[in-house]
Amino acid sequence: MKAPRILKLYPVLLLASATLAACGLLEYSPNQTHVPAAERHLTAQNVARLAQQPKTSNDTVRFVFIGDSQRFYDEAEELVASVNQQPNIDFVVVAGDISDFGLVREMRWVHHRLQRLRVPYLTVIGNHDQVGNGRLIYQQVFGPLNYTFTYAGTRFIFLDTNSREYGFNGRVPDVGWLRQQLADTAGTRRQVVVCHVPPLDADFDSTLTSSYARLLRQSPQLTLHLAGHVHRYTAGQPFHDGVPYLTTYSFAKHRYLVLSVWGQRNFHLETVAYGAALPHS
Amino acid sequence: MAPRFRTRSSWLAGLLLPAVAVAQPSLPDRHLNQPGPFFLTVQFAGGIGVVAVGGGYWLANRRVEPELLVGRVPRSLGGRGMTMFTLRTTYTPFAPQLGRGNWHMSPLSVGAQATYTTGKQFFLTNRSAGRYPKGYYWWSPKVRLGAFAGLRLTYQPDYDPRGWRPGRTTLYANLSTNDLHLVSHLTNRSLRLPEILTLGLGAKAGW
Repeated sequence: MKAPRILKLYPVLLLASATLAACGLLEYSPNQTHVPAAERHLTAQNVARLAQQPKTSNDTVRFVFIGDSQRFYDEAEELVASVNQQPNIDFVVVAGDISDFGLVREMRWVHHRLQRLRVPYLTVIGNHDQVGNGRLIYQQVFGPLNYTFTYAGTRFIFLDTNSREYGFNGRVPDVGWLRQQLADTAGTRRQVVVCHVPPLDADFDSTLTSSYARLLRQSPQLTLHLAGHVHRYTAGQPFHDGVPYLTTYSFAKHRYLVLSVWGQRNFHLETVAYGAALPHS
Repeated sequence: MAPRFRTRSSWLAGLLLPAVAVAQPSLPDRHLNQPGPFFLTVQFAGGIGVVAVGGGYWLANRRVEPELLVGRVPRSLGGRGMTMFTLRTTYTPFAPQLGRGNWHMSPLSVGAQATYTTGKQFFLTNRSAGRYPKGYYWWSPKVRLGAFAGLRLTYQPDYDPRGWRPGRTTLYANLSTNDLHLVSHLTNRSLRLPEILTLGLGAKAGW
């Protein structure tokens, strides 16, 4: 039996719509969560890639720490070019505010640039990533808001500290979850906490600040607390308890930190300038 | 945090402005008063829903097309089900007849639209969200402003348009962008124009 003409057209239409979707022309709403399958669950993809990656050392982790890529696409390309020239980098951490408006395309634009990194990159959710449908989009494109992975004896704990986006409901950051992760010290020597809003910021739930800081202070493996949000490098012990709290540059600052952690809570920090910050460009 | 407005030259502004504003009445006179001024629209994609339906009223010898569309994005594609209301006006400066037939081809239509998305996750203002200090976010996730340019093909049969059969049927394709995608493009050299464009395909029937 001869197939109707429309059925012969069907594979062509399917291919056409897949092509359009892949190049991003096909969009139902700027707030949709739908993305091509290859661009879903990027956190899990990158953690899996990291697990496959040959380690430069069994006891040292060396990673790039930068934040707030929001609407800095030119800088994202310059960052990739710079990081790809760095020797012995294990991965890149982006400390939240991947997007500026919480739109699906922004997260894809950032991914389309950062996927050219030679090493995996890992993100934590920022406040801008939660605007509108952003939280659901982040969960679809990247994955869980709170997650951990272990690399070279170091447990990295990523958590959502964007309390204002939840109207300061007393449940964000999830201190109970953080306590469980910090208590799990089997097989690791160090812990690093990564979030977006630092604990003394006005966007952090002030009713949770003291229990959060106490928890970190009482965690013997905790090496560093890392945050973004403020778009600049700061380092100190705001709670005067021996716990180092760092914040990092936004993409716009043309600088990133290279952090090395090893041994018993040792860390080392370098600042690298890239793109427009370099004198010759 | 701080928004950045680095300006750059872009031909997009030129594309979206109705540069071809000088128009001659190219539709034959017999079409001018018929069919009627009402039309219905159905559109696929284009950032206003998976499918949006609506209608409007022709003005200025059908060169100006104000319309209201209601679009829907299901939970499977939107995370949450979203209903989108779009108020839009299309300007089609000329629609030359193709040969001696019933077909008209408009090489350029331009327009502007505003889209309102339902759902309490989309706040109208920082104030209405109730959790932000003044000026915390400068845009509203609830309302998107957009602009588009496209082309269309219109069929106008010879038969008497009275009755259920539409007197005019138009197929169109639009490339659109919205305010936030445009701001991203204008502040980044490396964010190419195709990255901010969205394709919409639709049909209109007029009575």
